[in-house]
Amino acid sequence: MKILTQVLITAIMATVMAFTATAVATGAVEPSPSKRITICLLPKKKGLPYFTTCSKGAQQAADELGDVELIYDGPTDGSPEKAASMVDRWALRGVDVIAVSPNDPEVLGQAMKKAREKGIRVITWDADAAPATREFMVNQATAREIGHALVDAMAKDLGSDQPEGKVAIITATLTAANQNEWIKYMKERLEKYPKLTLIATKPSNEDQRLAFQIAQDLMKAHPDLKGIFGISSVAFPGAAEAVKQAGNSGKVLVTGLATPNDMKAYVKDGTVKSVVLWNTVDLGYLTVHAAHALATGTLKPGQTSFTAGRLGERKIEGDQILLGQILVFTKDNIDQFDF
Amino acid sequence: MTTRLRTLATNRLLLLGGLLAIVFLGVSVAHPGYASAQNIRDLLVQCAPVVIIGCAMTLVILTGEIDVSVGSMMGLLAAGIGILSSPERLGLPAGVVVAAVVAGGILLGGVNGMLVVAGRVPSIIVTLGMMTVLRGVTEILMGGEWITDLPASVRYLGTGEPLGLPLSIWTAMAAVVATVVVARKTPLGLHIYATGGNSTAAAMARVHVGVVRVTVFAIAGLMTAVATLVSVPQQSVIESGIGVGFELLVITAVVVGGTSISGGYGGVAGTVLAALLLANIRPALLYLDLGDRATFWERAIQGAFILAAVLSDRCRWFRRADGKAVTITTGGSP
Amino acid sequence: MKLLSLARRWETVLAAVLAIVLGTAAWLDPAFMALSTQLELSTHAVELLIVALPMTFVILSGGIDLSVGSSLALAAVIFGLSYEAGAPVWAASVLGVLTGSLCGIVNGAFIAGARVHPLIVTLATLAAYRGLAEGISLGRPISGFPDRFLAIGEGSVGGVPYSLLIAVAAVLAFALTSTRTVFGRRVYAIGSNEIAARYAGVPIARMKLWLYGIAGTVAGLAGIIHVARRNTAKADVLPQVELDVITAVVLGGTSIFGGRGSVVGTVLGVLVIHEVREFVGWRWQRDELILVVVGSILIVSVLAHNLVARRAR
Repeated sequence: MKILTQVLITAIMATVMAFTATAVATGAVEPSPSKRITICLLPKKKGLPYFTTCSKGAQQAADELGDVELIYDGPTDGSPEKAASMVDRWALRGVDVIAVSPNDPEVLGQAMKKAREKGIRVITWDADAAPATREFMVNQATAREIGHALVDAMAKDLGSDQPEGKVAIITATLTAANQNEWIKYMKERLEKYPKLTLIATKPSNEDQRLAFQIAQDLMKAHPDLKGIFGISSVAFPGAAEAVKQAGNSGKVLVTGLATPNDMKAYVKDGTVKSVVLWNTVDLGYLTVHAAHALATGTLKPGQTSFTAGRLGERKIEGDQILLGQILVFTKDNIDQFDF
Repeated sequence: MTTRLRTLATNRLLLLGGLLAIVFLGVSVAHPGYASAQNIRDLLVQCAPVVIIGCAMTLVILTGEIDVSVGSMMGLLAAGIGILSSPERLGLPAGVVVAAVVAGGILLGGVNGMLVVAGRVPSIIVTLGMMTVLRGVTEILMGGEWITDLPASVRYLGTGEPLGLPLSIWTAMAAVVATVVVARKTPLGLHIYATGGNSTAAAMARVHVGVVRVTVFAIAGLMTAVATLVSVPQQSVIESGIGVGFELLVITAVVVGGTSISGGYGGVAGTVLAALLLANIRPALLYLDLGDRATFWERAIQGAFILAAVLSDRCRWFRRADGKAVTITTGGSP
Repeated sequence: MKLLSLARRWETVLAAVLAIVLGTAAWLDPAFMALSTQLELSTHAVELLIVALPMTFVILSGGIDLSVGSSLALAAVIFGLSYEAGAPVWAASVLGVLTGSLCGIVNGAFIAGARVHPLIVTLATLAAYRGLAEGISLGRPISGFPDRFLAIGEGSVGGVPYSLLIAVAAVLAFALTSTRTVFGRRVYAIGSNEIAARYAGVPIARMKLWLYGIAGTVAGLAGIIHVARRNTAKADVLPQVELDVITAVVLGGTSIFGGRGSVVGTVLGVLVIHEVREFVGWRWQRDELILVVVGSILIVSVLAHNLVARRAR
């Protein structure tokens, strides 16, 4: 009898819990009625302003198109395994298009291949995976372009054709697939500037404080350090803050990838001369348009262009849908952007 | 028995102090910049939050409990600082923010404590659950945005230097002194040791074991709030990942510092030395400039170092089956 | 006998929680409950489940192993590197699993031989093994494994994934060991009262070496399965999985102080966590919500049980 009461009470508690969960999830997605097109947008890591701004652009596109059910979700800890599980679940739910920004091309590629076998249309955006795993890629910049742009920005900021001095990289983690790819091309580009020497590549484990400490240590251990690349979203402000607090603004340059709003203060006080990125709102916007066109059949392999709402005609090279060029935000133009 | 424990504890302090001296002096010889005042200051700033929370964690572990939620708590409180103080959000004055964050910390710690004592849920379960819940709540509160416009008054908590030393160092020193005083000179301290040593015996001796436990968890919440207030505003950005893995850092400092994981003996001095020692490893490797490949081995070196630190006194103190200590002659002195 | 019935009661509670979760799911979204869907989603929990089994033994004995995720990663990396170096895939797998064993035995040696608290030892090896994996692989991913190997992770027979079959076999093995063998009884004995067990002639040190060795071995096996499932061997696979594993075991009713608990409880604990995660993810598409719900279930279910049990007394 006791046991029975106990089980009953627990049952009630659990039901209450389930209902609370239902109530909490205000943003619940209703199962889509037939003619609507469900598009899933998967970021590498949910909770980063970079991806949040992308999702805003994606929502704009979905609102404009009218018949799109947009799902934006990704792992809050950036784990590729969790991201792959999400792709698995979406594939089983039978959504129309999955747009993946793979944090690890192999891990996600495997899940994307499985989704395609189930007849789901799969594209990549922001970062790419193996061509067999997706139909198109919405490409804002290749790893190669990003790596080169970062080094070029640093070289330009240092102020001569053949800049001299020591530079260091503060990365996300030592295993971060994207960052490792960028570093490869950064090293390639550094060969163009033989007098720039890369003295260290240190992981910040996605921890702003750690990036801050590493930047401090790098400046003390190498008093002649000229520049720091902060190539993860939290390493960049962490490194910039360290340079600023050490009173080295302008003496040690910091550059990296970030949304302009998050780095505005550092650009204005001269700690950071250039921030490299692209229009993230447009990237999300273009991705949803491409996904929609693919699902409705207006986008087919072999096309050389397609129309994407307010962005107009967009070029397609092979299976790459191009967003446009990499932007470099400086003191002069950063106020023109709000994202 | 007590003498042996005391010897062990003293040995641990000597050992940690010795290791710290060796690492510090060794790197300073290789790279004189390591011994500069600036570097020592940075090292202390880096340690400060670990020491502040470590003080409270030492008390928690002394009572035989554990709190693995401090990292997520830090994340939530940091989000709280941002949301309360940012002019674009609530824009409250710094004083209100500090009071609210401290109250929030005590409340969260108190909830942990109440669940452990009144709910009789083991602390590892309570705090493991809290760790995930609070991280999720932080993500929901932040909603994918960063807070980058902390007012100067709040930034002062992290960057201000009253009397020439950063506020976080002052706070850490105050926390250590306060904890030592509480642990050694007050009835609460005695009760904490008694509860951890043998809670049944303590209860028989009229120690309010439950009250002691709730108090230490509330202290852990308070110290986490204080550590968050003096360390997070040092950075310009508040994001949802603050404090991830911090609990591991703090617990490592406490156990390397010689506090028994099952409660009853240990102390703050060991925790402070261990925190200082652990904080030296990564910068030391950077200063030694071992090259790119060595960077990939840093985590392994850190692990090996922790293992060496906790094992070093065991080499001499293998215990026999009957629980008595034996000195292994090859191990050297005592 | 009393302890046994207590454990049995907790399992009833868990089964009820699981039934409610699945019932809610079936009501809100019947497609989620389709057998084929459930079978396919089950592969997401395979590593968690098989690592939770030896962890149950370790915790039953009054210990803990925080290093399982790191051992898993090291095994995966050793497997990948040796395959890359030209070893046949089966040999590389064996090498991977043995790496896991070695990790576990090293833990066991420090715990049983040097008598350091398991939490402290495995806190250190948690960093050390991941670090080793990072060091020897230089953080690089290794992929391109042959299809017949990937079939372990992805293939299925009659809709039932192979990896699930491996997990079920492991569950049976551990469940039988815990209830039907001397080894199993000794695990409970050590966890209930180590000194009494020693006087009763249980070889404590040897048992601990075995327990942590098994935990490492199974973690190694899980590492290989994970590589087969996701086609990538890398030092950062399954970050913080040890916390999920420990959460599942304690939710399963195994006392963190040892001596009390069961393999069946752990299986139910894993199932509850797995189904909640999958359903919340399936239905609400908000990753942060999963964290809140799983954490609350852990606290609330234990709390509810305690409060009810106390009132009933």
